[in-house]
Amino acid sequence: MVEGAPQVLIALEQGLGAVVRQSVWAYPTANIAHVVGLAVLAGAVAVMDARLLGLGGATPWPSVVRPTQRVAAVALAVMLATGFALFAAEASHLAQNPVFLVKMGLLAAALANAGVAAWLLRGLAPDAAVPPALRASAGLSLALWLAIAAAGRTIAYV
Amino acid sequence: MLDRRLVLIACLAALAPSAVLGHHGWGSYDAAKTVTVEGPIEVSQFENPHALIKVTAQGKTWSIVLAPTSRMIARGAPAAFIAVGKTVTAVGYASTAAPGEMRAERITVEGKTVEMR
Repeated sequence: MVEGAPQVLIALEQGLGAVVRQSVWAYPTANIAHVVGLAVLAGAVAVMDARLLGLGGATPWPSVVRPTQRVAAVALAVMLATGFALFAAEASHLAQNPVFLVKMGLLAAALANAGVAAWLLRGLAPDAAVPPALRASAGLSLALWLAIAAAGRTIAYV
Repeated sequence: MLDRRLVLIACLAALAPSAVLGHHGWGSYDAAKTVTVEGPIEVSQFENPHALIKVTAQGKTWSIVLAPTSRMIARGAPAAFIAVGKTVTAVGYASTAAPGEMRAERITVEGKTVEMR
């Protein structure tokens, strides 16, 4: 518990956080699921972004992007749920961790970028070439998610 | 062109951290100097990601970081092993980042030594 932390963080740390910390299996289970969720999410995102960047151009983009979008959405849901549990366990400390704050900023950027990409894809014909804006978004997506992964692991070392 | 893209993607993927459990870095502890702290346990938190006890020795109160609870239990050190009031001898390394914090390599309670690593 960090002295003088916002009340909402203290409440979270003393409520759900205490449950997560005091259970023998909750924290490691959330930790493992978070890492496995990352593997699935990053894999799906990499396949999706690679296609939008031009890899496998002979396959119509919806055949690659639509299924991987669904996989990524499920993995993201797992990551958000387990990430919230891990955050709750040490909420007041993590809120002061600079790398955690950077990670949350990168996450917000990645989600906004995914929204932009989804919007750009709406008007794109299945056999159309991927326009430059969408390629840029795909490249940014790859960079952001890998940076989020790196930041996530770095939280424990600062 | 295609090959270059593949190489680029492989390089980016290699930057992603390997999936490891564990919480604190080894680097932020002074592993060159072993610290031994002996005294009664004043605070005992049998919690994840690491159990923690507080012990005062020679006028200095140490926060002693132990192991995840599943490992503690597996090695015969459940919550009762580090109950408040018991005398503990903790051998470990002082944190270079957080003053008064040490990471225990092993603890001894009532003649029984348990490795934390």
